[in-house]
Amino acid sequence: MAQFDLITEKMLRSMAGRTSRRSIIGMLGSMLAGASSLPLLPVGHANAAEAKSTDGPPDPNSGETAPQSTGNPQDPGDPTKCDYWRYCAIDGSLCACYGGTKTSCPPGTEMSPITWIGTCRNPADSRNYIVSYNDCCGGLPWGRCACQNNQGDRPVVRPQNNNEVTWCFGVQSQSYTCTVSIILGVAIDQK
Amino acid sequence: MNKAIGCAACASLLAGFSTFVMGADFPNPLPPEAIPRVETLPAKYPTGWAFLNYAGDRIELRNVGSDSREVKGQLQAHDSATILISDQRPELYVADTVWSRGTRGTRTDFITIYDKQTFNVVDEIVLPGTKRALITAMEGLTTFTDEQRMELVFNFTPASSVTVVDLVNRKVLGDVEIPGCSLVYPSGKRGFSTLCQSGTLLSIRLDEKGAVAGRSESKAFNPLDTDPLFTASALIGGIRYFPSLHGRIQPIDMRTEDVKVLPDWPLVSAADASGNWRPSGWQILASDEQKLLYVLMQADAHEGTHKDPANEVWVYNVASKARLKRLRLVRPGSSISLTHTADPLLLVQAGERLDVYQASDGSLVRSLDLPGFHTRMQIDPAR
Repeated sequence: MAQFDLITEKMLRSMAGRTSRRSIIGMLGSMLAGASSLPLLPVGHANAAEAKSTDGPPDPNSGETAPQSTGNPQDPGDPTKCDYWRYCAIDGSLCACYGGTKTSCPPGTEMSPITWIGTCRNPADSRNYIVSYNDCCGGLPWGRCACQNNQGDRPVVRPQNNNEVTWCFGVQSQSYTCTVSIILGVAIDQK
Repeated sequence: MNKAIGCAACASLLAGFSTFVMGADFPNPLPPEAIPRVETLPAKYPTGWAFLNYAGDRIELRNVGSDSREVKGQLQAHDSATILISDQRPELYVADTVWSRGTRGTRTDFITIYDKQTFNVVDEIVLPGTKRALITAMEGLTTFTDEQRMELVFNFTPASSVTVVDLVNRKVLGDVEIPGCSLVYPSGKRGFSTLCQSGTLLSIRLDEKGAVAGRSESKAFNPLDTDPLFTASALIGGIRYFPSLHGRIQPIDMRTEDVKVLPDWPLVSAADASGNWRPSGWQILASDEQKLLYVLMQADAHEGTHKDPANEVWVYNVASKARLKRLRLVRPGSSISLTHTADPLLLVQAGERLDVYQASDGSLVRSLDLPGFHTRMQIDPAR
């Protein structure tokens, strides 16, 4: 992992010195697209909370949005709640509360291809998954379903593991709206 | 006389009686009041006032040193805005970002220069390249250097650079590339240091025109894989103190251009080790005029809790590296700061409250509401 960081740093330093911002974005996008094939990545193990039960009909007079389910027993939890297992390193608003889903942006926004990553343990299959937290940009942010989970988050000195950065790069507007969590692959644990 | 007329007569009588009684107590009517009228602030703010930056979305000046607890004024802030408060000129500097159509359109990064007494906009400096780092408002995104003649703005696109701004002549001087490094901390007479992914500290010396006059890089001292430093720090006697996630304190002497990384030392003694105490929160450090170091500390800490609110503030003498006292908070706090007085107040942002303690004994003095606020506050008490 130290080697990975060293390589990343050298690449960033080198690129910053000789390339334009857009080409950096494209190159980093390619790196991230291939992240699932990387053998080692930062692994912060999630103590993912057990998914809340969604048994029983929701109260239609509660004023709240009804609980949601992924519909997949291997992917348990409510994507509109902070304790959904794959949100273990999320810091922001959940797109599932804005018209998007756990993996897609709300209408009218644009998904940034540049992102930060975390590693979360799925309580259903006990695997650690590398999760890409892509920000959706250009919409209206107003704080609904705000979550702050910091498993594996690191200070901004290591930005690719930091969730305070607005990851709206390579998109028309850098104004933050919400965040999705997309599985890139299974992490290979060093331990 | 019908009922309606009767009621009207009664009402008139009552109104007249009421006027007579009130007039007896208040023989003179309220005087006409001036229009328009706008408040102004004193040239030197009382030390009981503090700027509160709500995660870069809103900035207000609040009277935290009095039970009146009132808001003294507000400054615009839109996205990751930071404020620098000058004591060399009667000015405030807010670095901010807006889009021409709300959340879309043309992006503009800029520094607004406010008059400290009127909060009127004196001028603005547009920052080129739309590259200002949009990161939750925190220490290190902007800083003064050269005795407040210059402001440094950290950029992240995700390539890292620093924009050097001349605040006296109100113009941008240029950019300094800092690939692989993040944030800016003033060092030397005119320059800055920045934390790098390789675990080193890169220090840049600037000339009068804001160009790079020299640079040096420390050996690696920040173990990002195992126990990285927080980016929050406290300044005591020109030495900047950074805590680590697991509870070390790392002093760095930034008084001269020859920046020195000094030996680190533990915040938690062997006797307290079983409690798993670690620094935790957002603005987790503060220092006072007595050169004491205050650190937000959390028990039972583990991976992922480093930004959680903490239950205690531990106070250290940095010369002896000894813990002097533990202050227990009435509510877990995320950000702390100290007023700049001989008998300082400890300000603690705790959820939607700002709790004010006597720093000397940890007693709660008062509590202020922070409506709508969740976390990530930067507190800047007046000097």
